[in-house]
Amino acid sequence: MKSTQYSEKTLDHFRNPRNVGTLEGPDVAVGRVGNPTCGDLMDIYIRVKDDHIEDIRFQTFGCGSAVATSSMITELVKGMTLDEALKVTRADVADALDGLPPIKMHCSNLAADALHAAIRHWRDGVTVEEALAAAPAAPACGAPAGAAADGVATLDRFEGRGVYRRLDDPSQLAGQRVVVLDTGDEAARLAIDLTGHTGRVVLMTPGKEPAVSPAVRSALRLSDVKVLAEAEPLELLGEGELERIRVHDLAEDEEYELAADAFVVPG
Amino acid sequence: MHTLTLSDPGEALRKAGVVYADYQAAKPVDPRVVAAMLPYMTERFANPASLHGPGDEATAALEDARARVARLIGAEPREIVFTGSATEATNLALIGYALRNRRKGDHVVVSEAEHISVFNVAKHLQKAGFRVTRVPLDLHGRVPLQKLRSRITDDTILVSVQWANNEIGSLQPIAEIAAMLEGTGIALHSDAVAAEGLVPIDVREVPVSLLSLSSNDLYGPRGVGALYVRSGVQLAPVILGGGQERGLRSGSEDVAGIVGMAAAADIAREEMAAEAERLRAIRDRLVERVLAEIPDAHLNGHPELRLPNNAHFRFDGVEGEAMVLSLRDHGVAAATGSACSSKTLEPSHTLIACGLLHEEAHGSLEFTFGRWSTDEDVDRIMAVLPGVVARLRSLSPLYRPKATGGPGAAPQATTATTKDAR
Repeated sequence: MKSTQYSEKTLDHFRNPRNVGTLEGPDVAVGRVGNPTCGDLMDIYIRVKDDHIEDIRFQTFGCGSAVATSSMITELVKGMTLDEALKVTRADVADALDGLPPIKMHCSNLAADALHAAIRHWRDGVTVEEALAAAPAAPACGAPAGAAADGVATLDRFEGRGVYRRLDDPSQLAGQRVVVLDTGDEAARLAIDLTGHTGRVVLMTPGKEPAVSPAVRSALRLSDVKVLAEAEPLELLGEGELERIRVHDLAEDEEYELAADAFVVPG
Repeated sequence: MHTLTLSDPGEALRKAGVVYADYQAAKPVDPRVVAAMLPYMTERFANPASLHGPGDEATAALEDARARVARLIGAEPREIVFTGSATEATNLALIGYALRNRRKGDHVVVSEAEHISVFNVAKHLQKAGFRVTRVPLDLHGRVPLQKLRSRITDDTILVSVQWANNEIGSLQPIAEIAAMLEGTGIALHSDAVAAEGLVPIDVREVPVSLLSLSSNDLYGPRGVGALYVRSGVQLAPVILGGGQERGLRSGSEDVAGIVGMAAAADIAREEMAAEAERLRAIRDRLVERVLAEIPDAHLNGHPELRLPNNAHFRFDGVEGEAMVLSLRDHGVAAATGSACSSKTLEPSHTLIACGLLHEEAHGSLEFTFGRWSTDEDVDRIMAVLPGVVARLRSLSPLYRPKATGGPGAAPQATTATTKDAR
C-alpha cells in the first residue's frame, strides 16, 4: 500500500483538522512526543475539570497521518474521564480513522502516546512549561552552560584539517558547511558572523536551546544559523580531512552522521 | 484499419485540472513518438533474428534506431546496447564491468549522490566480494574532485558518478572526472537518466566508458533503456539467452519500443536547446517567487549548476509528505524526499549527504517541469503553495517565523486561549 493511500476519514482530518492550537491556565497539562529528526513532533494539551477532559488542543509537525491521528484523538476523548482516556490506544485511533497504511502504524501514530503523557503530567503536577522543557534560563554572565568538545574522539586528528579552535578570518570557510559547537555567546556570535561567508552554518548545542544570553538569542533567531538542539558530537570522520560528524541525538539517544566540512570549537 | 486519435498530454492535463510538476518521476510519451511506434506493433512486427524479408526489415529498423540513439550522445552505433530499462543498463554496466575485469582489481567507487538503483547494485557487488567506497558530496550535492581522487587506489577498476542528480538536479563535474580518469585504466560509468534531453551529452567530449540512458526520460516509452559501451570496454552479460545485442543483452528486441526511443532521441536532439531555455525561464520564475513570497524557504542544490527544469525547496517547520498531500488537493502534482513518503522511512540520502539535518530533509519539496509545462503552471502553484505552507506551519509546534523572531511569535491557530507555550 502506498503511504499516501489514506482513508477518506484520514484525509478529512488532515484537510480539516479539529481542535488545533494550545491551551493555557492552571488546569492545563501537555504531552509532547516524537522528534523532528524522525519527521514527527506532536503536542497535545488537555484542560481537566472534575477528572474529565473538558477541552483539548493539538499542534503537530508531521506527515498526513501524524496530523490526522492528532485531530482524531482530540475528538475521541473530549469529555472522557482521565481513566477512560488512558484506555484509548493507538489501534483505537487508527480504527476510528478507518485504518492507516501499515507503514504508518508505528511511525506516525503517536497521538495516543502524547495524550497519555499529558494525563500523566496532569496527575504528576507537571506544568506545561516544565513538560515542554522551556528554554533554559540564560546563563549568568561569564558562565555559559554550553558544550564541551573534550570527549570528541579524533578531534586532534583533524586539527587544521576541518577542526578550528579559533577563527581569525571567517572568510576562510567561504562556501563550506560549518558546524559551530555551542560554547556560549561567543560561539553563537561567531556562527552569525559566518553566515555572511557561507550559506550553511549549524550551531550544535546539547540543550533544547543554545546556552546564550537573551540578546544573542534574538539575534540567532533572526539569523540564517540553523540550530541543532539536543545534540552532541561523538566522533569526527573523514579521509584525510573532516567530512562527517557522528552526532549523538540526546532526545532519542540515537546516533547519526552529519556531513560537514568544518567544525569550529571556540575555546 | 482503425485510425487512432492521439490526445495531447498538455490538453489532457488541462482538462483534468492538474498542474503536473513531477516530470522527474515520469513523463508522458510524446504523441509524435507514439505515431512512430505504431507501425511496429501491428504491421512490422517481425523478429530481427528472422532470415525472411520482414525479419530483415525489423533488423533495418533496429539498426536505424541504434544509429539515432547513438547520434544523441555523439557515439558510434555499435557502442549502443538496448536494454529493458535504465536500471538494467546500470546493472549491466556495473556488474558486467566488475565481473569481466576482476583480475584488474576489486575496488569500485560510487558517489553519495547516486540513484538508489546504483547503490543497490553496488551493495550486490560488495556481497560478491568487491570493495565499494562512497565519495561524499559538497554543500550543493556535487562531487568534489579531490575527494574522489583521494579514494582511488591501485585496485580501483570502476567509478560511477551520475551526470546530474535526480532529486536536487545538481550537475556533476563529469567532464573533469572523465579527464581525471582518462588514461588510468579505470572505467567511468555515468547514469545520465536525469540529465538526458535537458543538457548536452557528448561522449566524444566527455570520455566516459559507460553511460546509462532511459527512453521515458526522453518522452519515449517505458520499458526501454540503453547502455553506451565505449569501443574496447569489455563487459560480461547479466542476462543470458539467445545472444541478442552482441550477446550482452539476450531477449528478442522490442523493436517498437526501441524505435520509440529513437524517435524520442531525434526530437530531443532537435528541440533540446530551445526547450531547456523555455524550462529554465519557467523554473527560474518559480524559484524567484517561492523565495520572495514564502518566508523561511530555501533552495536545495546548486543555485546555477543544476538541471534547467528542477526546483527543489525546503520549508522550515513543515513536513514534505504533508505538503505533497495538500498540493494534491489543489490539483498540483509534486514530489518530496521526505521519509514519510518512502518505503524505508529514511529521508533522502542525497539531502543528508549535502549536510542537511533529518528534519530539514523531511521538509523538502521538488518541482520538475517538462515538455507540457507552462508559465501558467507557476501561477497556479504559487496561488496555492504559500497557503499550504502557512496552514501546515499553523499546525506545527516547530515553526517560529524569523521575521518577527522571539518566543512570542508563535503562529496563530484557532486556539481557545492563544498563547505561546515556550
